[in-house]
Amino acid sequence: MDIVTLVVVGLVIITALTFDFTNGFHDTANAMATSIATGALKPKTAVLAAGTLNLVGAFLSTEVANTISGGIINEQQVSISPEFILAGLLGAIIWNLLTWLVGLPSSSSHALFGGLVGAVIIGAGVEGVNFAAVLTKVLIPALVSPVVAGLAAFCATRLIYLIVRKMKDGEIESGFRHGQTVTACLVALSHGTNDAQKTMGIITLCLIAVGAQPSGSDPQLWVVAVCGLAIAVGTYMGGWRVIRTLGKGLTEINTPQGFAAEASSATTILVSSHLGFALSTTQVCSGSIIGSGLGKKGSEVNWSVAGRMLVAWLVTFPAAGIIGAAACALTKTGIGGVIGVVLIAIVLAFVIFRLSRRNPVNSMNVNDQSDVKINAETAAPAQAA
Amino acid sequence: MELFMQEASSFVTVLVVAICIASAISILYATGLRLWAGSAVDAEGNAHLMARLGSVVCFAACVAIVLFALWLMIPVFH
Repeated sequence: MDIVTLVVVGLVIITALTFDFTNGFHDTANAMATSIATGALKPKTAVLAAGTLNLVGAFLSTEVANTISGGIINEQQVSISPEFILAGLLGAIIWNLLTWLVGLPSSSSHALFGGLVGAVIIGAGVEGVNFAAVLTKVLIPALVSPVVAGLAAFCATRLIYLIVRKMKDGEIESGFRHGQTVTACLVALSHGTNDAQKTMGIITLCLIAVGAQPSGSDPQLWVVAVCGLAIAVGTYMGGWRVIRTLGKGLTEINTPQGFAAEASSATTILVSSHLGFALSTTQVCSGSIIGSGLGKKGSEVNWSVAGRMLVAWLVTFPAAGIIGAAACALTKTGIGGVIGVVLIAIVLAFVIFRLSRRNPVNSMNVNDQSDVKINAETAAPAQAA
Repeated sequence: MELFMQEASSFVTVLVVAICIASAISILYATGLRLWAGSAVDAEGNAHLMARLGSVVCFAACVAIVLFALWLMIPVFH
């Protein structure tokens, strides 16, 4: 293996792990936002549980897909070079960070697919992309997921309040707290058994492509371990901005609604993955929360936040694609371009991180407000850090 | 068009199955809680054994569903 290939492969592995980290960090909210909002779990406990379950999940399921893009890219016609993967990953990472900054949940897999498609269009031409698969695997799920999960959560919430209407409020709150914790943990575990595999698949396919491991072989143990750790650490860091939007921004949630929402999310994810209809976890979980808000009488849903989310979901794929395409254009100029594009991405990530510090959201203040703003409205006097 | 019909039918299947299962879990858990609350020993010292038994049955069913979900999630089991 020559030195240039070695550098590129090294960069792909590091970038893939960074993507894995942002994936965990972005998706903590899916499993834990409702539990944090209702106080069923303390914020730190919730992210620790979700992180641990993601790590466990990564080891439980190592059956990685043998395609990176799940059919969106015609992988028989276009051989996906490590440079394409790098550009796609960078597009996805930057998009994940941008949506985190504004506190909007968005699908990490759609961002990854978008980034890859953008890179392939620039690198190999439009014929490398299977647009029918884009429609059935990205666009339709983005519109359908929240509807399915939302309807399930709506029915579940209605039925729960019908059954428990004669119970005391205190009994209801504490009773559903346990149920909510269990269902949230199921969502976290299913995340670990799905999302870490994407990164494992990318690293493994990259190692196969450069001949470092035989074709068709399973991921090596170190790959499984670092991918599991990256997603677990990301989850533990907690994308608090997204957690606030999902837990507080959409609707005011009580523990029965939290239970209904998480039970519906877990059910919808499992049912859809076993009946062959790929739904996105992020959109499923957001839809469930809206459904649980609609299901409780007297509860209000903040439709402007829900609308912004829908826009973010539809924009994710093309936006990550544009970033991926730009990144790919740079990587085509040779090894200097590859290193340059990674440096640009690091600078961008740093800028986004600096912007987030203007109005930080963390485990201490996650439940204090319901919206995520980039600039703090008033100069808070006693703002530590 | 055929692809579209196929997508639409699997969408409806997922929708119906998801609603049924999510509702079933919610009914079981909520009923379990309600019966448990109703089975407390009352002022005259009557224990409501049937209510307590019903509550335990509901919770046991919930545990069974969670175990089934874990079985589905972990590929080693199948």
